[in-house]
Amino acid sequence: MGIVAQDRKPSRPAETASEGEPQAGFGGASFEDYDSPLFFAWQINSACNLGCLHCCEEAGHSLPDEMTRDQALSLCRQIVGMKIPYVAISGGEPMLCPHLFDVCEVIRGNSISLKIETNGEFIDESVARRLAGLKLRSVQISLDGATAQAHERLRVAGNWEKAVAACNNLLRHGVNTEIVFVPTQFNIHEIGELIDLAYSIGVYGVYTGKTMRIGRAAKNWDIICPSEQQYGRFFDVLQAKAARYEGKMKVYYYPYDVVEELKYRLQCPAASLLVVPNGNAKLIGPLPFVCGNLKVQSLDQVWDNYKKAWRNPRVIEFTEQVIADPRLLARSNDWIEI
Amino acid sequence: MKLTEHTKIRKEKFGAVVFETLTEKVFVADAVGAEILELITQRKTLPEILARLTDNYEADRQVIERDVAEFIEQLRSSKIMCS
Repeated sequence: MGIVAQDRKPSRPAETASEGEPQAGFGGASFEDYDSPLFFAWQINSACNLGCLHCCEEAGHSLPDEMTRDQALSLCRQIVGMKIPYVAISGGEPMLCPHLFDVCEVIRGNSISLKIETNGEFIDESVARRLAGLKLRSVQISLDGATAQAHERLRVAGNWEKAVAACNNLLRHGVNTEIVFVPTQFNIHEIGELIDLAYSIGVYGVYTGKTMRIGRAAKNWDIICPSEQQYGRFFDVLQAKAARYEGKMKVYYYPYDVVEELKYRLQCPAASLLVVPNGNAKLIGPLPFVCGNLKVQSLDQVWDNYKKAWRNPRVIEFTEQVIADPRLLARSNDWIEI
Repeated sequence: MKLTEHTKIRKEKFGAVVFETLTEKVFVADAVGAEILELITQRKTLPEILARLTDNYEADRQVIERDVAEFIEQLRSSKIMCS
């Protein structure tokens, strides 16, 4: 009879565990075969209380043309209708979005897995309790150091103690909590201590990888980019910690940089959409291309555009230029409609 | 038999896609695999699944039993099924 179940390339390799596994050639597994995305990454707002040196979205102030509450809820209904299994909401700082909980309630009310990515600074006891009620897949807190000094140097105006307190508040209320760490030349040496701290407070997992040279990170590249030697030690520590905490806490690191990611994505685009606060759908974070706008087009139409856009010669040519000259990544937020 | 809390299954033209959203691993199954997954989500027992497949397919029952056992073992080893 023959039944086939095949492990496939995940929708978002920066946060997945099967990187490096062989790609079996078999029908029905290309992104073009899916009627809708498997994963929906939604930057719901641009407002942020911090000014992180590495912010890919260059977040800070609200944009004048961001999606309204009604538009956001309409999009939620389309996500439900298209049976998208997994949504991640980020910002800006999503806790500053006034309709965040309305959106979350529609998504979770339809049993879609939901992750919220936040700096944690607004998650006190009562917010943690409210988040627990949503039965989220997880809340992911950005913690960029085992010490306040390292974290706050990268996260300008950030507060390390608040971020740690957010983890503790969430964990006390039974929320699956994750930590994400962005390495730079001045915090990279703290990864080992950070992982130990994460384990001591009981988080589900720690995620990291090479810092992407996009957005504000591209502008600050000279002062944040770790050296190859630093990265070498970093991955050695990660390997050792992953082994130490195997079966107890997930330690996941994506070993490839954004150029390697683009090389792969040119061949195998992900079955996912990335939507920014004004409703624009990007092909992928590091590229400037926009394949539609969800304020004026249906999700179905935008998904169709996305599939065609990856085969557009202009996209292919520019991606190849970026691969050859990564300085072009600095243009990732200069949107180009395709 | 039960799928893990964060596993989502969606029917596709080729069969089904299985997304374990906690581990963020994606699997695809062919049409027969999709049928088995649907029966699992309906909380059918293994004998009920075998009976359904035996009714629906011409293959020898022993072959069906072996293939289903292998498929379910894949689901277990991939941590898609928790019991």
